[in-house]
Amino acid sequence: MDTLLLARLQFATTASIHFLFVAVTLGLVTLLVGMQTAWVLTGNHRWERLTRFWGQLYVINYVLGIATGIVMEFQFGLNWSGLSRYAGNVFGAPLAIETLVAFFLESTFLGMWIFGWHRLRRGAHLALLYGVAITAYASAFWIMVANSWLQNPVGYEVRDGVAHLTDFAALLTNPALWMALGHVVSAALLTGGLLMAAVSAWHLNRRTTDHALFRTSLRIGLVTAALAITLVQGFGFAQFGPVGGVQPTKFGGNPEADALIADWTARFGPGDYLPPTLSNVGLGFMILIGFALGLLWLLVPLLWRDWIIRLRFPLWLIMLTLPLPFVALILGWIAREVGRHPWVAYGLLPVDQAVSPISPWLMATSLIGFTLLLGTLAVTNWTLLARHAARGAADPALGRPPAQPPADDPRPEPAFA
Amino acid sequence: MELAWYALLGLFFAGYLVLGGYDYGVGLLLARGADAPRRRAALNAIGPFFLGNEVWLVAAVGILFGAFPVLEGELLAGSYPAVAAALAGVILVTAGVQLRSRPGGRSARTAWERVIVVGSLLAALGWGVVLAGLLQGVPLRADGHVAGVTHLFTPFAAATGLAVLALVVAHGATFLTLRLPTVESDRLRPLAHRLLLTATVAVGAAAVVALFSDRVRTAAQRPAAGVLLAMLLVAALLAARVALGRRRPGVAFAATATALALPVLLVGVTLWPYVLVSTVEPSASLTVTDAAASGPTLRLLGWLAVPLLPALLGFQAMCLWIFRGRTDGRAPVYW
Repeated sequence: MDTLLLARLQFATTASIHFLFVAVTLGLVTLLVGMQTAWVLTGNHRWERLTRFWGQLYVINYVLGIATGIVMEFQFGLNWSGLSRYAGNVFGAPLAIETLVAFFLESTFLGMWIFGWHRLRRGAHLALLYGVAITAYASAFWIMVANSWLQNPVGYEVRDGVAHLTDFAALLTNPALWMALGHVVSAALLTGGLLMAAVSAWHLNRRTTDHALFRTSLRIGLVTAALAITLVQGFGFAQFGPVGGVQPTKFGGNPEADALIADWTARFGPGDYLPPTLSNVGLGFMILIGFALGLLWLLVPLLWRDWIIRLRFPLWLIMLTLPLPFVALILGWIAREVGRHPWVAYGLLPVDQAVSPISPWLMATSLIGFTLLLGTLAVTNWTLLARHAARGAADPALGRPPAQPPADDPRPEPAFA
Repeated sequence: MELAWYALLGLFFAGYLVLGGYDYGVGLLLARGADAPRRRAALNAIGPFFLGNEVWLVAAVGILFGAFPVLEGELLAGSYPAVAAALAGVILVTAGVQLRSRPGGRSARTAWERVIVVGSLLAALGWGVVLAGLLQGVPLRADGHVAGVTHLFTPFAAATGLAVLALVVAHGATFLTLRLPTVESDRLRPLAHRLLLTATVAVGAAAVVALFSDRVRTAAQRPAAGVLLAMLLVAALLAARVALGRRRPGVAFAATATALALPVLLVGVTLWPYVLVSTVEPSASLTVTDAAASGPTLRLLGWLAVPLLPALLGFQAMCLWIFRGRTDGRAPVYW
């Protein structure tokens, strides 16, 4: 067994599960901000119910985002100690900033938001959700700064065999950063929007209670998803220029790539410096999905006079498209991450020099253990999400008044809390 | 500059042990056989603080990566089994607490409670062993890498793991006497009292094992300070016991919180100026200065930390303030 391969597999698995959850987190929190703002401004009870229902799904989904995020953070040290040693001075800074500025505050605010219903003034409670959303975006930003540095190392110089930070601003103006950030954030909005539309479509199709409520969230979700897919496509294609410029080997052979490979062969020794075909196959399928989801715009006119609900089949279409953004997310990350193989930091640190010098057996145990743990938790989490989505907005536990016994529980648990 | 960051790293990790410590203590106490409403009340006693507690660990690791990248790689990879166990524990607790009450059925909720118990156990033992691993030195070779992970399996590491476990349970019980309604708190007090005694014995035992361990004696740069801090730890536990007896749960909780923070200070001070002491090659030992990131990185992070730190601590304090006092039925039940 090969420690390097196992370590790469482990990072790929953890990161893939992580993205499936954080995309929903980022997308839903944006929509929640809108809903709760509407509730506070209008005082309309319907917006409160929408906030509680979607808020509960958001909070359930959040669990796995944190769990996988913590595992990823530790993996840098556990499995990739060469990266910390060689590039920690530069790469560590945005990650440290992310944990302090974003992750730390996001969780603190969210805890207060969950338990602050009926206890805080409405404005303060809303402000907490704004805090959660702003820090969630800050988190995405700093993680993309760190990731973009790995894609295209800038703002450093190598002294005594270690990279040192020379120009932090260069990290923030990295050509690999901004278009990718726009792409990822709009993909998250697309995922959140489509999830909202699909769950609403399920309820409307089943003719469950709360028709008006789910009609509203269907409209919000569909319009968000349609706007977002256009942004996803725009930012996606806008990346080809800058990324191709800084990573000539990413999209297959060309004269520039050949020159770079000759240079690397001279400096790092002979090796296979082209990424595996997997990354470009992934890219191709992702683009296909992107175009397919562009057809969401065809459903938007059907919102007129509720034709989208009355015709029924558009509801089915929306439900069937739900897996697509998730698949595209994974494929997109494969294209970005596998596409920089065999480098951890492009052109600077090859993967085999970054992996921790630990025994393959230990690495295999860790890979199997954490994959089983996170995989089981992910499946359990989705099952819970599906059940709570199907249960409807009658009485979500989130924001239930303390005095009111839960409707779904004949023997309510605590008398005090 | 390095010292300031080292202190900040210590602050965040100690903060995590104090705050996460009572989460895990409450988690472990779910196994004591109370009825379902009491178990749920215990979880909701942590309620609003839970999400804000565990992120102290995330922040500590962030600082470790940003300000001490070399240490991050060698410490985590060099203590792989202990860190992985603690990490698995953290994940199980975070998922268990947040998802426990989402299914409606009794059996599913009981299953999630078991997940929380196992997770709390792993986290407490794992972090105990990581701290012990630092204190007994690591086989750091001249090439700067820690050789293997078998160096962790010593009687001292086992004793420290158990001591941290006992500390965490006693801390959790003390937290519940402070936070639950008075009637419940009175019921729990005898248990907390006994657990504090157990913790005192466990910490004493770990200290005795340390005195007999060659590796700990060799690695300790300032043994006197180490012994003094260990005595302070025992004193804090005894003080907590006395305070609990006099029905001063606030004072008792402050004392157990001190007891949870002290191990971090003890490790830092005893090993200073080193952070990783090599057992195989004395010249390979890593000092705090060598482990730190280079000047520009620390300066950048420093400029950021000055305005940020008051905000981080302020929002945490705000959370404590809003939800202060005993649980009284005014906050929603969610976990």
